[in-house]
Amino acid sequence: MAKTYKKPEALSDQHTHYCPGCTHGVIHRLVAEVIDELGIRGRTVGIAPVGCAVLAYNYFTFDFQEAAHGRAPAVATGIKRVRPDLIVFTYQGDGDLASIGMGEIIHAANRGEKFTTIFVNNTVYGMTGGQMAPTTLPGQRTTTSPAGRDVEDVGMPFKIAELISGLQTPAYISRQTVLKPKYIVRGKKAIKKAFQYQMEGRCFSLVEFVSTCPTNWGMTPVESIQWAEENMLPYYQLGEFKTPE
Amino acid sequence: MGFCLMEGNEAIAWGAIDSGCRFFAGYPITPATTIFNTMLKLLPPLGGICLQGEDEIASIGYCLGASMGGLKAMTATSGPGISLYSEHISFAIGSEIPIVIVDVQRLGPSTGSATRGADGDIQFLRWGNSGGLPVIVLAPVDVSDCYLLTIKAFNLAEEFRCPVFIASNKEIAMTRENLNMDAVDVPKIIERISPPTGKPFIPFEVPLESRIPYFLPIGGDVIVRQTSSTHGADGYITTDSDEIARVQDRLKTKLTSKVKRFSFHESFLEKDADTLLLTYGITARAARDVYQVCKSSESPISLLILKTLWPVPEELIKEKAKHVQRVVVVEMNLGQYVREIERILPDKTIDFLGQMDGRLISPNQILEALAHG
Repeated sequence: MAKTYKKPEALSDQHTHYCPGCTHGVIHRLVAEVIDELGIRGRTVGIAPVGCAVLAYNYFTFDFQEAAHGRAPAVATGIKRVRPDLIVFTYQGDGDLASIGMGEIIHAANRGEKFTTIFVNNTVYGMTGGQMAPTTLPGQRTTTSPAGRDVEDVGMPFKIAELISGLQTPAYISRQTVLKPKYIVRGKKAIKKAFQYQMEGRCFSLVEFVSTCPTNWGMTPVESIQWAEENMLPYYQLGEFKTPE
Repeated sequence: MGFCLMEGNEAIAWGAIDSGCRFFAGYPITPATTIFNTMLKLLPPLGGICLQGEDEIASIGYCLGASMGGLKAMTATSGPGISLYSEHISFAIGSEIPIVIVDVQRLGPSTGSATRGADGDIQFLRWGNSGGLPVIVLAPVDVSDCYLLTIKAFNLAEEFRCPVFIASNKEIAMTRENLNMDAVDVPKIIERISPPTGKPFIPFEVPLESRIPYFLPIGGDVIVRQTSSTHGADGYITTDSDEIARVQDRLKTKLTSKVKRFSFHESFLEKDADTLLLTYGITARAARDVYQVCKSSESPISLLILKTLWPVPEELIKEKAKHVQRVVVVEMNLGQYVREIERILPDKTIDFLGQMDGRLISPNQILEALAHG
């Protein structure tokens, strides 16, 4: 019997350490499928963040460079400037990108660095135990906002895709999700566009993914998807915020 | 370039260029800025890359990426920037990324005095990484040293796959002196060693008789996975205590076991001297005067100028101090390297002269310390 659905070559055989219901696995797969389809596995370099995806290099079958917390865009800058022929992407979570690494991502985007960022926004610090992130929703309970995020105290969550779209230089900024199959198809298209734009030598591209963290949200995977749809999607609207002219 | 007049910072830039450095990134800071300015002039015509980072953390981050991309890389800063470099210094140690880091020291703490010299970062350079593993620190005395020690720093960084510091000082960095580059005895330039072909690449596997893994740049034909997280030879995170201990020990002994080979120094030993004057950096210039003055007096002294500060060249220091009863350590801080001398020479009398007021230590002050302790 012929196999019609295979694991992408860009993914290894290893089982991931991600929790049940976590969206990292799907997003990893989409990145790997795109890399296969574009035939760029031999010249792709991923930059892993600090956080749950620090172990991403276990799961992809191409070069991976880990970076210090939040500094992936800086390391990516060095690699891409030295080797413009490579396809370079950072893979970052919300604590890594939008808190400790906000300076690096904004400046890399504004310089128009020719790499791509996959930004996984699940509103909490996963690896360290569910602390409040810059993208935690108003009223959302986390281990460091046990009474819910108080926007009077810490402000409203950052809308990263919109924020970076406000810059002139970036080429492509999109927000997607993988909460349902229809979204997954669109999400993959966005990743593909981002990589294609990079291959064309265009400036910085970023695809944000509205994601879940059932473990730290204290929900089942199904509940977490429902919660994200009901609470995250109205605030983090999906769509393309910036496309090349 | 032959005979020229240049300041220490320019000489460091020239040393980097002549070492094959083709990537520089930095953030504006006095008194290191003219290294950036010089690199900006020298690098682009050679096809090199010179970048201004949004801050020091990003600047050294670019350098680490560039180094992993296969280029020799350097960054330069002063005390406030070194503080911010700290996380990436640890990262470079843990993932064994070659890089040269120049610290043009200025008077601290913190912003301190931007235009006054000091040697206040000497212990910080050694211990400013999480985990406390050793680094290499070289200390120039003059412009010629700035050029030569930078070349040696690159050679060491490439050979040992580690961060190597140039502990400069505002006074050397911004003083113009004659330098005859052609007269400098430049060592052979060392390049990273690629693994032998025909065998699978294991990123942190160490060849026999060596403690240094082969290097492959990221983005080549062979898959390279690079991490600073506690890893085994295969580059994957490990929880095996024995393997962790082996790697930690290797990261330490790859430097400490070889320090004899790079114990750079100048020494002037007098047979009848019972005192050894020991110093480094800009202060060595006052110490040379003092040595000359004492040489023609009734009480000559010996002089040891260290140019390798870390790992501490213990054997060298013990050897040079063998015939004296007393060692006088002079440095532009309130007592940092003297701690190492006290540790290494417990049977000697150790006296200390330190100063941290933005002024150079004068020969007269040293003479007084020699006379009165």
